[in-house]
Amino acid sequence: MSAIGLRQTVHAEWTKLRTDTGHAWLLLGLVSVTASVSAAVAATTRCPASGCGQDPVRLSLTGVSLGQTIAAIVAVLIIGHEYGTGLIHTTLTAVPRRTTVLAAKAAVVSGTVFTAGTAAVLASVLAGRSLLPGNGFTPAHGYAALSLTDGPTLRAVSGSVIYLVLVALLALGIATAVRDAAVAMGVVLGLLYLFPLLSHVVTDPGLRRHLAQIGPMPAGLAVQATTDLRHLPIGPWAGLGVLALWAAVTLLIGGTVLRLRDA
Amino acid sequence: MKDDPRIEVEGLRKRFGATQALNGMTFTVRPGRVTGFVGPNGAGKSTTMRVVLGLDAPDQGRALVGGQPYRTLGSPLRHLGSLLDAGALQPSRSARNHLLWLAHSQGLPASRADRVLEQVGLAEAARRRAGGFSLGMRQRLGIAAALLGDPPALMLDEPFNGLDPEGILWIRSLLSSLAAHGRTVLVSSHLMSELQDVAGHLIVVGRGRVVADTGVPELLATLSANRVTLRTSAPVAATEALARAGAIVHAKGADTVSVSGLTGEAIVTVLNAGGVPFAELATHRATLEEAYLELTRDAVQYRGDGGEETA
Amino acid sequence: MRGLRVLHAEWTKFRTIRGWVLGAVGAILASVLFLLAGTASTNQSSTQHTQDAATLPVGPGGEAVNDSFYFMHEALTGDGSITVTVTALTGVLAQEPGHTSPGITPWAKSGILVKQSLEQGSQYAAMMVTGAHGVRMQDDFTHDRAGLPGRPSAASPRWLRLVRAGSTVTGYDSADGVHWTEIGSARLAGLPATVQVGLFTSSPAAVQTSGSRGGTSPAVATGTFGHAALGGPWARGSRPDRWQGVQVGGDAGTSGSYAENTSGAHTQTGSGFSVTGAGDIAPVVGGPTLGPAYAIENFLVGTFAALIVLTVVAVQFVTTEYRRGLIGTTLAAAPGRERVLAAKTAVVVTVAFAVGVVVAAISIPLGRQRAHATHFLVFTVPRAVELRATLGTGLLLAATAALSLALGAVLRRSATAITAVVVTTVLPYLLAVSGVLPAPLAQWLLRLTPAAGFAVQQTLPHYAHVLTVYTPASGYFPLSPWGGYAVLSGWTMLALAAATLLLRRRDG
Repeated sequence: MSAIGLRQTVHAEWTKLRTDTGHAWLLLGLVSVTASVSAAVAATTRCPASGCGQDPVRLSLTGVSLGQTIAAIVAVLIIGHEYGTGLIHTTLTAVPRRTTVLAAKAAVVSGTVFTAGTAAVLASVLAGRSLLPGNGFTPAHGYAALSLTDGPTLRAVSGSVIYLVLVALLALGIATAVRDAAVAMGVVLGLLYLFPLLSHVVTDPGLRRHLAQIGPMPAGLAVQATTDLRHLPIGPWAGLGVLALWAAVTLLIGGTVLRLRDA
Repeated sequence: MKDDPRIEVEGLRKRFGATQALNGMTFTVRPGRVTGFVGPNGAGKSTTMRVVLGLDAPDQGRALVGGQPYRTLGSPLRHLGSLLDAGALQPSRSARNHLLWLAHSQGLPASRADRVLEQVGLAEAARRRAGGFSLGMRQRLGIAAALLGDPPALMLDEPFNGLDPEGILWIRSLLSSLAAHGRTVLVSSHLMSELQDVAGHLIVVGRGRVVADTGVPELLATLSANRVTLRTSAPVAATEALARAGAIVHAKGADTVSVSGLTGEAIVTVLNAGGVPFAELATHRATLEEAYLELTRDAVQYRGDGGEETA
Repeated sequence: MRGLRVLHAEWTKFRTIRGWVLGAVGAILASVLFLLAGTASTNQSSTQHTQDAATLPVGPGGEAVNDSFYFMHEALTGDGSITVTVTALTGVLAQEPGHTSPGITPWAKSGILVKQSLEQGSQYAAMMVTGAHGVRMQDDFTHDRAGLPGRPSAASPRWLRLVRAGSTVTGYDSADGVHWTEIGSARLAGLPATVQVGLFTSSPAAVQTSGSRGGTSPAVATGTFGHAALGGPWARGSRPDRWQGVQVGGDAGTSGSYAENTSGAHTQTGSGFSVTGAGDIAPVVGGPTLGPAYAIENFLVGTFAALIVLTVVAVQFVTTEYRRGLIGTTLAAAPGRERVLAAKTAVVVTVAFAVGVVVAAISIPLGRQRAHATHFLVFTVPRAVELRATLGTGLLLAATAALSLALGAVLRRSATAITAVVVTTVLPYLLAVSGVLPAPLAQWLLRLTPAAGFAVQQTLPHYAHVLTVYTPASGYFPLSPWGGYAVLSGWTMLALAAATLLLRRRDG
């Protein structure tokens, strides 16, 4: 008699997600908010002369810094709402292997955020591609039109999608550990935003660099940079790796807490 | 395993802070009859059920379903159906979708969801948001979820809560028929009256341990013997005659005495034989409720505050 | 009376949930820890300043000032006047290390000065020519008046005159030495009988305004003066040819620096002098010219940590009512829905205000002490400004807590409401100050979103006569402190109105 497989649990979690209309609205919001903020930034940034020091790819992906919060809400609610309603007991009664439950939730969150994130990021790049040349980001000023065939651009775009997925997983781990949607959301937002706020105050350049290297948001978003890579505090993929580490650690903590504590 | 749907609880101990919620809880629930799980608020009924379901880990002891810990069961809903808190629903999801994800988690076909919805009489409301359900409808949905895997054992925590009289009758007959088909059925309640006429066996708990584990007829028999109230114009003669026959007699009024230790028929025979006149004879039968109150007299933790059950 | 009872009930609800009380206390602790983390580093470059790097001179108004310039001066007693021609203002810029080029910064200054003493921050009035802003009269750092336009040359010199009469100093300028125009007059209450009078030159560093944070590079200016004529009682016994040259402030201060191989100096040219100097006589402003230094609002960085914690608490204060149907009990006990909302708002506003004031009252002295220990400059501000920042922190948290409560009542899902508050307050601020966005966009964010409210903590003043990068990235909000707070309050009111409307319409 084999225990309940991950496949069945993922199926169940997927059914749960798709039958709660709230999630559909959130994912739609993720796409539209990311794309519209990115488009707004692309539409209002000007490059009057060559060497204006802007990174057009990063600018077109600005919406990710807002969209990530919605990815985090989806992840926080998928477990936090179950604790809020007491449904978690039913879930754990149906699937007593708690690691399997968390893995299934992680899989469903990753899948949906990946899909919505891809749409959001592609829409952002499309907006940047059509809006930026009109604002002076022209070949004459040293900027080619955004194109996914360009290596760094493709890396920034795919990296941004992975970034969104990792932020969602980070949020899932935290929500599993604290078991309360509101507190979890506060912790997630604090982790994301307080690091860059702190580096704004820190006067020591060395410490500022370290903060940018260890903060989940500044490190993770390094993957969006396509210009001036030498001066980044952390390399693009290494930065995403830091975020992945954060996500892995919080999921581990969440999983351990879920396994050891009474439900 | 379908052949051995017993629920076994052995020496469970669990402490929540200063409260000893379970203090050596031990019992076995057998198939083929409805077992009532009764005790006052805070006696440890819900905690025991949560331990059986692997939701809470006991400090000591173990709980087995069909000889296995619940958490090791494959497709557990096919082995043990349970209802803990009927309110535990995400309000925006429809009743059918709630059962659908549960079915998917057990590898059950979607048709099972429709089948159990019919069984509990919710087919009409299947596509409505569960958030709009009345307490009674939520109970029915919770029972549907318990029946989903067609399990050989069921464990329901306070299933009568919030039900109208018709609903209570419905659950009683449902439980009886499930037991009649050889299933193990454990039903908790803090009101013995709810279990009257349906439970064939009782596990009475108080302060985290079993106070009585007995069949209903045996329980009634262990009670202090039935009392008979007798009205007579010759109380002194009656008392003497009955005492001689081995009864215990108390005077209750000028012309009334209370007799215990003899059945009504025996009293009539004794009085007729002694020529003692009597006007009226009333037999008082002990109810399950009285038996329960007597058993749990020392085990009641929260008396008269009507508080929420904490364990 | 009934309102008070509802208020009392809501207060009891609040204080009996341990998590919420811990949250309020935790908000204070979190913000102090946050401050300690932010001020952990030691200033590596502090040894470069010969003066005590932990203090800035303070002007007569209590504001931090730069008072570093080259001064050829003489102590003169009583009333009198000084008149001089300026025939040239030139300079040297060192935009790349080891390489200098001719050039002048817009606010390079050269002219005549009447000053209380050689002490930095003492009172003064000055008439000067500038690099790009014509003739100016300035006094006591914060006052600036415009005179003749254009830069002086041998063909078109500028005549400058200062007249002291008691505690009043009046400035005049002239293009020909015949027709004089009064520019203005300054009342310097603290002026002693004997004052320092003479010729000065200063030049703030060149500021690169491109890029969001910008940078600075050394700049030195030289003013060429004709004969300095003293009038009135000052004329008796004065010997301009024996005037002493001194670098006031020891070095060029925080706003300027000498290029390599240059220093403050004077040389006799015919009957006059040429005076070379760097530095500035002006209030300190933020941005690249300030360098590694703390402003008071930097010490209040913990506000963000407190804000997130209080947002969670305020949102939960209302969403938990819906979660288990407590709202039914609440409304049964107090059927007036507006009254319940008002009572809840009053409770969270009071708690948040108290938390904010405590956070600020701990953070400002603690931050100052930390900065001193790590040899960083602290941007001094008048007491009134500091008080505004302290109370403003309380008001800021109070308004965001009320916003959180209102959004919690509207959205009813705590995670969504918390996110909505944080992404409309913290995120726009973060995007604006981090320099990711172009400055105009950053400024619009801080005009329109609730993040505008952080302006209430701002202590860095904006001066038209001091050049720096006045962008959010360098700590400058587009709106005034109370203007920004009004924007936040407006959003809060709007959210509360929406919550009231929805509460009235919605069932339990």
